[in-house]
Amino acid sequence: MINVQHLKKSYGTHPALRGISFSIKQGEFYGLLGPNGAGKTTTISIISTIVKPDEGTVTIDGMDLASDPIACKKIIGVVPQEIALYDNLTAQENLMFWGSLHAVDKPTLKKRIDENLEMMGLSDRRNDKVKDYSGGMKRRVNIAASLLHLPKILFMYEPTVGIDPQSRNLIFEVVEKLHKAGMTIIYTTHYMEEAERLCDRIGIIDNGEIVAQGTLNELRTQSAMKGSINVQFGNFSPEKEALLKTSFNSGSAIIDNKFIYPSDDVKKDLPKLIIKCSELGLEPTHIDIEEVNLETIFLKFTGKKLRD
Amino acid sequence: MFRIIAKDFKIFLTDRRAVMLTFFLPIMLISIFAMAFGKEKENNAQPINLLVCDEDHTNATADVITQLDSIKSLRVTMIPLDSGQRMVKTGNESALLVFHKGFKDSMDAGKKIPIELLYDQARAPEVGILQQALMSNLMRIIGTKTIMKREMERADKQFSNLDTSILRNIHKQIEAGFNQSAGDNTGGIGISMTPLIEDKQGNLGLIQAIAGTSVMMLMFGVMAMGASILDEKEKGTLKRLMYAPISTNSLLFGKMITSIMVGVFQLAVMLIYSKIMFGLDLMHNFPALILLVFATAFACSSLGVLLASVARSRQQVQMLSTLIVLSMSAIGGSMIPTFMMPPFMQTLSHLSVNYWSIQGFYDIYWRNLAFTDPDFLMRPLVLIAIGTALTFTSQFFYKRNVLKMT
Repeated sequence: MINVQHLKKSYGTHPALRGISFSIKQGEFYGLLGPNGAGKTTTISIISTIVKPDEGTVTIDGMDLASDPIACKKIIGVVPQEIALYDNLTAQENLMFWGSLHAVDKPTLKKRIDENLEMMGLSDRRNDKVKDYSGGMKRRVNIAASLLHLPKILFMYEPTVGIDPQSRNLIFEVVEKLHKAGMTIIYTTHYMEEAERLCDRIGIIDNGEIVAQGTLNELRTQSAMKGSINVQFGNFSPEKEALLKTSFNSGSAIIDNKFIYPSDDVKKDLPKLIIKCSELGLEPTHIDIEEVNLETIFLKFTGKKLRD
Repeated sequence: MFRIIAKDFKIFLTDRRAVMLTFFLPIMLISIFAMAFGKEKENNAQPINLLVCDEDHTNATADVITQLDSIKSLRVTMIPLDSGQRMVKTGNESALLVFHKGFKDSMDAGKKIPIELLYDQARAPEVGILQQALMSNLMRIIGTKTIMKREMERADKQFSNLDTSILRNIHKQIEAGFNQSAGDNTGGIGISMTPLIEDKQGNLGLIQAIAGTSVMMLMFGVMAMGASILDEKEKGTLKRLMYAPISTNSLLFGKMITSIMVGVFQLAVMLIYSKIMFGLDLMHNFPALILLVFATAFACSSLGVLLASVARSRQQVQMLSTLIVLSMSAIGGSMIPTFMMPPFMQTLSHLSVNYWSIQGFYDIYWRNLAFTDPDFLMRPLVLIAIGTALTFTSQFFYKRNVLKMT
């Protein structure tokens, strides 16, 4: 459905994308994860036609994005990170406006608005101005506004940021329903549990490159990790932090004064780690061993926590 | 307390908008008003334009016109009567001095000399200055000649028995004596003053008030409308619009058309209010009024959209729009009628949207120009040309600045 080849983009002298390539199949739920500044926004902005790449090609449903952006836009829906709605209009008016941009005829549009508001649990608030909605309700309208033209591909940019658990669960249900209905979804999030729950495949992007991609199991295999050793110290200092960083492999990281060491053999690495800490004069106060999950895989590949 | 004062000063000085509005804007307005109303430096005084029509075509009129032209404070332009009257009627010049047929004969006979100043009453202050300059100079030139001629004739009669060479000598002495005392003899010369356009119903102030205020407020209104482009960018709705299968130009032009419609509506409301409250006759020249309203709304909207395309934030738009609207209004005649300004300010006023629109209103309501009159049509056409140029420029900056998504 989406084929991205050797995509490059620079802003001034800063390369945002360094030639990334990936493909997404029809009906697939693809998670694009990466720390801030990794290139996620640029990638999605290019595929969703609002930024032009310096190099590379993107084909969407067999259409070349560069030569026919309008045709590509017709089959794309984008749920932006921001609540991109008009506060002084009602939910109904907002949806009428956004739907009308996709040339959906009025009766069909009205029907779809009814369906979407029902799906989002907002039917009874349809005539209230958006400015009077809670954050979660706004997020739901924000999603509904991207679905009115029945897109084949849906880009969802952190759709659950800053909302209540009830709205979050409702959004998950909606997204899963859309996925089951065969929609191709590209999803970015800073919440690992969302990506683990929803995505068929995950691409990890860092410094403008795809550093790993596959299903969660494939990523586990690629990471060659068995778990992570997390160590807390009583006498931590910036100097010792620097020593730790240079003493261990690139996948390790220090987050919130906790040293996280992704390990492919915990039994072997744990004693080595304790000896090394002793040599550096560090006194561990707490050690725990965590199973491999997306968070540790991400850490292994990027050296950063997802929310960095 | 000192820390609070220091902190507030620091915040104030880092707020460029506040600093500009506090210092730069008043300085600029003071400068404009001072240049319009204040005393000009003697050496900077610009000569006053004077259209002159010679219907007498005699040596006497040629001599007087040459002498007028030699006066530093006047810039004389010869023109036929019809053209001169049209120049005044269309607001291009404030007055026309006509030397009527019989000027020489009247001067020779010592009768009332037929000189007439045809003028536009809307430019009374300007005409007043001109009239003053003309009175003193014409009386000096013509008055001296008339009395000198009378004295010479009296000498001829009194000493008719003398030799002609002696009489010539007496003439020379009389002439020398009058030349010495030139300027003191102003005996009895008057310029008849005739307004070509008269303020019969006291409309002049009303036209200025309605046109000046409406255009200025329209500019403020559409500038804010244009700035909503930046609101859309800041809120993220612009990005969402860009995801839709519509061209980027339709985003810009959609915004501009809305702005024009709001502008037209705003002007319509102001004009209807003026009709209800002050009796402005909207149907006086309706097609011309419609054309002028649309042209003005277009030019102002383009300016608003350009500003939004160039500026980086809404705050910047607000600062720039206040600055631009007030300065354009000040030089363009919204605050002070342009005819009250010195000549260089009048030239400068052509750079403002206000000028062309206000002059259009004068054409309709004061000068009574027809819809098809080229002098009237020029005003909306210039506004449309300004609007078109600004739209093209906006399009460039809009793509470069506003649509640039990172």
